[in-house]
Amino acid sequence: MIYPKKYDVIVIGGGHAGCEAALISARLGVSTLMLTISLDSIGAMSCNPAVGGLAKGHLVKEVDIFGGEMARNIDETGLQFKILNRSKGPAVWSSRAQADMTAYKLRMKYVMERQNNLDIKQETVDEIVVENKKVVGLRTNVGNEYRCDSVVVTTGTFMKGKIFIGLNQYSAGRAWEPPSMKLSDSLRNMGLRVSRLKTGTTPRLDARTIDFDVLTVQPGDDEPIPFSFRTTKFDRPNMPCYLAYTNETTHKIILQNLDQSPLYSGMVESIGPRYCPSIEDKVVKFFEKKQHQIFLEPQDEKSTEIYADGLHTSLGYEVQLKFLRSMKGLEEVEIMRPGYAIEYDFVDPTQLKHTLEAKSINGLFLAGQINGTSGYEEAAAQGIVAGINAAFYIRKDKPFILGRDEAYTGVLIDDLVTKGTKEPYRMFTSRAEYRLILREDNTHLRLYDKSYKAGLMDKEQFERIKEQDIKIKEMIKKLKTAYIFPNENINKALISLGTEIIKTKTDLSKLIRRTEINYDKLKTIVPDLEELDSFTKQEVEIDLKYEGYLNLQKQQIDKFKRYESMKIPESFSYNDVGGLSNEVKGKLMEIRPSSIGQAGRIPGVTPAAISILVVHLKKIYDRKIRNTA
Amino acid sequence: MHDDDVIAAIATGYAIAAIGIIRVSGFGAFGLLEKIFTKKPPFEHRKIYYGHIKESTGNVIDEVLVSVFRAPYSYTGEDSFEISCHGGIVVLNSVLERVLEAGARLAQPGEFTKRAFLNGKMDLSQAEAVEKVISSKSKRALFIAQRQLSGKFSGKIDKIREQILSLMADNEVIIDHPDEELGSYSLNQKVELLHNISQQLRDILKASEYGDTIFNGMVLSIIGKPNVGKSSLLNVLIGSERSIVTDIPGTTRDVVSEGFTIKGIPCTILDTAGIRKTEDKIEYLGVERSRRAIDDADVILMVFDASRNLDNEDFEILDYAGKTQSRIIGVLNKIDMGNKCGSVPLDKVVRISCKTREGIKELEEAINAYVVQNTNDADIVSLNAAQKESLKEGIMMCDKLIEDEQKNIDPALIGVDFISLAASLDEILGKITDEDMLDVMFKKFCIGK
Repeated sequence: MIYPKKYDVIVIGGGHAGCEAALISARLGVSTLMLTISLDSIGAMSCNPAVGGLAKGHLVKEVDIFGGEMARNIDETGLQFKILNRSKGPAVWSSRAQADMTAYKLRMKYVMERQNNLDIKQETVDEIVVENKKVVGLRTNVGNEYRCDSVVVTTGTFMKGKIFIGLNQYSAGRAWEPPSMKLSDSLRNMGLRVSRLKTGTTPRLDARTIDFDVLTVQPGDDEPIPFSFRTTKFDRPNMPCYLAYTNETTHKIILQNLDQSPLYSGMVESIGPRYCPSIEDKVVKFFEKKQHQIFLEPQDEKSTEIYADGLHTSLGYEVQLKFLRSMKGLEEVEIMRPGYAIEYDFVDPTQLKHTLEAKSINGLFLAGQINGTSGYEEAAAQGIVAGINAAFYIRKDKPFILGRDEAYTGVLIDDLVTKGTKEPYRMFTSRAEYRLILREDNTHLRLYDKSYKAGLMDKEQFERIKEQDIKIKEMIKKLKTAYIFPNENINKALISLGTEIIKTKTDLSKLIRRTEINYDKLKTIVPDLEELDSFTKQEVEIDLKYEGYLNLQKQQIDKFKRYESMKIPESFSYNDVGGLSNEVKGKLMEIRPSSIGQAGRIPGVTPAAISILVVHLKKIYDRKIRNTA
Repeated sequence: MHDDDVIAAIATGYAIAAIGIIRVSGFGAFGLLEKIFTKKPPFEHRKIYYGHIKESTGNVIDEVLVSVFRAPYSYTGEDSFEISCHGGIVVLNSVLERVLEAGARLAQPGEFTKRAFLNGKMDLSQAEAVEKVISSKSKRALFIAQRQLSGKFSGKIDKIREQILSLMADNEVIIDHPDEELGSYSLNQKVELLHNISQQLRDILKASEYGDTIFNGMVLSIIGKPNVGKSSLLNVLIGSERSIVTDIPGTTRDVVSEGFTIKGIPCTILDTAGIRKTEDKIEYLGVERSRRAIDDADVILMVFDASRNLDNEDFEILDYAGKTQSRIIGVLNKIDMGNKCGSVPLDKVVRISCKTREGIKELEEAINAYVVQNTNDADIVSLNAAQKESLKEGIMMCDKLIEDEQKNIDPALIGVDFISLAASLDEILGKITDEDMLDVMFKKFCIGK
């Protein structure tokens, strides 16, 4: 039937990208429908039972500040919270939490079901209907045709998903769920380039058959910090993970059975992630390593299922069992679900704009693993940007775009649409050139204004963060203009703090900059300094201690912005630009960068080509001015 | 400002020769050729066409050969051709005028090479080398410039860059994969590698100073008491008799500059009057000038008469120049007349006879050895001021990074410093450039290159 209700936005898929896209679209007040293959799998964690991690923690907090759900969801269902890289500097701190994956997905479903403007239905989408390069609706497997103005596709690994366990293979979207066999053909028919990627997951083990006593315990932080800036009541358990190791016997078993791996027998030819290699890859490529770490993580507070992080494998069941049992503590382990490799269709993301809308089809947005990424957080970050832009597309608002200088999400999307990806793309802090400024701790401080202006945050929250922001700035100013003078008592106190004495009038900010001193220690010398909450203290210290480097990055950002602001018109004809090599021209025409800055980031586009473009644009611009004058 | 309109210039210079070449390059160059050439297209890449250049009226200007280079396989990376015509100035000018009349613009100095750079045909250090190849005053300078043009130096910088990238990668791995037992370098190894990179940059900086001397020349000064044979030495070095030589002490009064080369190094000689206390006003001035000449010289040849005992005057000169010891080469002249003076308290001493020319080769070797120290010519480079500045920045960043690593500071901050270090190398090769800088750089080139 042609469904009687017309929707503004339809989101295909109920994973981490789909949930954020559907929620934010509905929260922005446009009528939204989410279609999923299985209502029971909304918010499901297909792989590891964790949220956050290096650079991913940043993404979760960014999703949070723009009105997303992931941070709040993990704050309510996490089993262990930890700040990684605590011993290193604040720029590379990252939050990570173990999740109760059952509770996580149930809560997500609960939130979605209670969201105004959002309908949820279990149907498989076979075809997106496009007229005059514009989305007008879609058709599903139960014979329904929905009319809508915009579609957000978040299919994860489901499009033509094929699972490999040893030499056995079957079609599936995730583990034992059915794949989506028709949708990618519909995308191909619209003219989009679709190719294959591969990823994998690990065997799930039965806790009752693991000897935890011989393994190293890995607890979370004693004082856990929640992800969401909205979370006020926070009381979660601190369930331990365990550290196990592979050994030479394990490696021998794997090497002897490589012919049973679809990755090595040539059955799977698509590229998997380099940063997250299968155990067979690790053993083959890092032959000299005698052992690899394996993290055993709880999947669910009450179940005995254990996730074996570090053991992604496509080897056959028998081999999996054999190599698992060669490890200390796992001698009698039972597998509850085997690890597998999965191959799936993804869309070359260079066909998208920074809004995640397809350049060639109006109203068609793509987010998550379909764009070649990996990870729940990467998916959620794209989901929220696609959802916001789908809603803005309906409302005819200005697109919502995050810059590389503003957010990790901005870096993620710019990388995807500018460079594309050959392997599943994962976020790293090293991908963010301004990572000293784009820290996790200051996420809400750097983005609250943008969020509020885009209508993604209410006034009360805005005022609350603004107050905090002002307090920090004023405190810094105060410390820069308050002085102490050298005298015997002060210098004695400084010596007892293990730092050098002062000889002249010194402002307090200079003292805080010293490695040996922080705000609390300074307060022992200058008792009339006011009491500060721990967050304000931390931000003040970071800002002062890192000031030189932060200023350097601010200068770099100014330079970056100059090139970003040189816009290239969508209709720009590269054929009219002489002096560009055919190779460069081809790349520019394929990506159609929106600014000179983006053009410069396209691989293979030389600085020389950029200067030619700049000159050419200037000429066009000058001509325009002449013509209007 | 970069354009791709058709530019043209006489490439062979304004001199009467058997053949002269006019180079034309830019978008639409072959359309222009069709207008002025009797031969009709197709004009194929790397082929030479025989024909005539004619006026718009049809009158023949010259009988020529036209070599065709199609984009991107030309010097500039654009469509271009070269007209080889007869070498007379009038002929060349007429052909050039005809090319300009047909729509080309007269090229700015260095514009062809600038386009080559902008089209990615060469990097900045190679583009610099083009100018050096043209302006080389000696075979030796040419050798160095050609090596640089061929990308040998760029390759060296790329290698250093790789070493930096490997350290950077190590730093990033520690940040992004804290759970894994990664990071392949120990602190000592990192510090050692950084020292090593710093040393390589220092060596290049030094080698570029030697390069400066080889390309720009050096100032030699010859000092010594009167009548030890300073002017004879000058004449021997120049290879011709230039200054007045008499046996009367103090007759060479002017500091004279001369242009010639020693071992391919262009030299300017400050031929000085003898350093001698004097009441004579005119000679006093000469002596003053000589003292200044000593201060300004790159290398000082301190001449003594080997056939006599050293006297007070010799020792006074030794005393005076003592502060500049490292720049001094002692020259014991007149060894053909005996050896009475014995040894001289200087590090480097060469025994010569200007009369028999004995020891002159050794003296030239000694001068060269001083100028390039022990550096092999293959390692010598010629860099501009900005490139040297970048090298210095790189060296500074290495030192800072060594301190960073030893203090075990936040790896994110170390990452920032590594990026600055890598950027300083990129600047040397012009991977990061600024249009204004380019304009200044390319203005140095002669028209036609």
